[in-house]
Amino acid sequence: MILHVNTVQKGSAARARDFVEALMELVEGGQVDAALLPSLRVQLDWIQYRTNFREPIVLRRAIDMDGSPLGLAEIAVDLRQSDRGWRALLPASLGTLGIAGDDPERRYLEGFTPLRAGLLWSFNRLFWQRLDDWEAATGRHFEQALPAGQSDANHAEAIADSVAEFWTMLADMDKRGHLPAEIFALEIGVGSGVRAARWLDRFRALDDERSTRFYPRLRFLLGDYSIPTLDRAMAAVAGHRDIVSVMAMDALNPFKTLSFLRYKLLYVHLTNVYDNLPADELVRRDGRLWLVEARAYLPRAETARIAAAHDVPADDVVRTVEKLVEIGPDVLRDRARGIALWRDVWAALRLEERLVRLDDVAQAPLPPGLDRHHLDDLLETAPQDVRFHLSRGAAESFGNTLPLLHPRGYLQVQDIFVTSMDEYRQGFRGPGKLDGSVVNWVNGALLRAVAARAGYDVHFTPFRYRTGSRTSILYTTQRD
Amino acid sequence: MERVMLETAVVGSYSMPAWLERAKNDFLLRRLSRHDLDEMHDAAVKAAIKDQEVAGVDVVSDGELRRDNMIDYFATRLPGVDVDYRSKKFYYDYYDAVARRKLPIAPLGLVDDFRFLARFTARRPKVSVTGPHSLVKRIRNEHYPSEDAFALDIARLMNLELKELVRAGATDIQVDEPYYSGFPEDVAWGVKAVNALVDGVAARIILHVCYGNRYGKPSWEGSYRYLFPAILGARIDVLMLEFARRGPDDVALFREFAPPFALGLGVVDVKTHDVEPPAMVAERIRQALAVVPAARLSVNPDCGLLHLPRDLAFAKLEAMVEGASQVRREVGG
Repeated sequence: MILHVNTVQKGSAARARDFVEALMELVEGGQVDAALLPSLRVQLDWIQYRTNFREPIVLRRAIDMDGSPLGLAEIAVDLRQSDRGWRALLPASLGTLGIAGDDPERRYLEGFTPLRAGLLWSFNRLFWQRLDDWEAATGRHFEQALPAGQSDANHAEAIADSVAEFWTMLADMDKRGHLPAEIFALEIGVGSGVRAARWLDRFRALDDERSTRFYPRLRFLLGDYSIPTLDRAMAAVAGHRDIVSVMAMDALNPFKTLSFLRYKLLYVHLTNVYDNLPADELVRRDGRLWLVEARAYLPRAETARIAAAHDVPADDVVRTVEKLVEIGPDVLRDRARGIALWRDVWAALRLEERLVRLDDVAQAPLPPGLDRHHLDDLLETAPQDVRFHLSRGAAESFGNTLPLLHPRGYLQVQDIFVTSMDEYRQGFRGPGKLDGSVVNWVNGALLRAVAARAGYDVHFTPFRYRTGSRTSILYTTQRD
Repeated sequence: MERVMLETAVVGSYSMPAWLERAKNDFLLRRLSRHDLDEMHDAAVKAAIKDQEVAGVDVVSDGELRRDNMIDYFATRLPGVDVDYRSKKFYYDYYDAVARRKLPIAPLGLVDDFRFLARFTARRPKVSVTGPHSLVKRIRNEHYPSEDAFALDIARLMNLELKELVRAGATDIQVDEPYYSGFPEDVAWGVKAVNALVDGVAARIILHVCYGNRYGKPSWEGSYRYLFPAILGARIDVLMLEFARRGPDDVALFREFAPPFALGLGVVDVKTHDVEPPAMVAERIRQALAVVPAARLSVNPDCGLLHLPRDLAFAKLEAMVEGASQVRREVGG
């Protein structure tokens, strides 16, 4: 058994000690399957968002690609979620460690599937499609759910710096006679539109102040897959209507929508988009690679509570959830009741995980443009025992945005990044719940590999404008 | 070997196999011997030649598959240039190379590669060299008083190598100068350097100027207008430009300035995986024929095919050849 203490938060040492004592008592008492002990991993503290998809103790079993059980097993513990109740929690949790089948205490909403294809992403899609309904029910704007209570995207000083950098580049191009007649800029994932509005206000002011006449040449595009979000953003940038266009766009493939602008965009910005795109997770244990698969479930007690609260027969809860993600809160005829059901189900939603052994690195679900050799390169820089994000959605979006960049253009991404594979040594974060959406850290090292392949270098700088912010700004430069 | 009307040619590089990329990198990291890499290069070059021949291209190259990139192949051969061989970790990156003294005269070893090409093809072989302007943009100068002085000295010693190539049978020699597009203010002295490079070289001289193809994307954007009128003084036979990706507008410069050289017309875009139908290629050639007579027009891709998968590179060459053939029949060539 290998005990891995990732991070013991200040004040949680006693909980960690209690957990380990409780666990060792069970081991000595023969209550942990002896066949699993040699490869058993125990992870303390499995770092998560405060609101997430996991129980205080999560067990993971391992199988091969044919579904046969293997000897590897993991116990991941979130010390924050239980206050010294381990002696009560552990025996019941460990009792299922050697069982490969269903847990009778769970109502499963789907079969095991790679994380990127799981039900949680259907909920995420629903959230952005029915944002107005959700916000009306919660009584707050979705950005208020962010750790700072507002989006870092809208920070005035950060925007002023961004505008200044862009203007400086334009001025340099203009001096060399390289500035195109039309200056194309793009923001993907527009949020409330406040950032775009502030950016454009600032750009116009700077342009006026320096009499450069760049603003009338600017063509500012706002892209998002959520029509309600685009409507809001358009209202926010009403003062710049003559130079702004909005377009429905799949964030995974901006090139598909904007192929007519190949090599023309001088500036592309995204804030908190990549952390909201489907991702997989890979694990390396004892030199072998494993894909994390998950299935969503509701704890039995929660299922009963939801059934009673929303007047849905207990046996119909799973079917009702399937319809909910398909047609939205109108599933219950009374939309208000439907939204309440949606929020309750989302709050109770959990993920059960298992590890599927990959017989070859080539079986990893790599994003387009990368092959096994890139993954080999990434793993060379990673700790031996590691769990990491395969940020497939982010990498796909990134790779499909780069071909739009003008030779002098750059991409600026404000998000929560793991900037090197070695950082996974310190823990693993995500996925979590942010209001009704999914949030996940993004593997910046993977994006670096995608960028290198496409002829770009990426650089990360911490977001220095708000103390305590965990976001970074990624920007690209042309690789020489 | 008689030349056909609307002669088709590659620009130079051909699709780099992924296995050869890995081998080059393994060599760089000392996991593969020089001997083994040379054997792989030979095999890859023969395959590239065969692809060009089967596609029907009139003027073929060795695919430039022995080169890490367009700079290092020359920087490592120029006598007197100091190369820090620890300065790159990926074969396609550039070495840190610096000229700290006047470059002495010595052979560059291009003739062996040319002879290999000529031996394995029945088509007209072409050899490409990176021009002095592009080389001085990448090799640091710590000796010469100016960039143009450095470029002229590179031209002086490379000129001897080009003459050796002619003695070995080379009839088509191409000079690549993509960096003109990034430094349009240099064109006047860049042309002087090209003229020094090809002075007395008894071959058909092609000058290729594009907007860059590093990692399969452009390094600059703009109009070829910047080349004129300075380029009119270039002692070249063909000016080979890219038009498929950028559109045909700049062909009109050949009407406006009536240059003394022929036009190498880029008819397939090497930066997209969409394969142009032959009819589209033919139409692009017809548009150019409205400005440049067929006798002064040759046909080529926009740039090297290095970054395209092999099947697409081959398909684009086939489309180019078929498109040219259609128009040739129309104009009676």
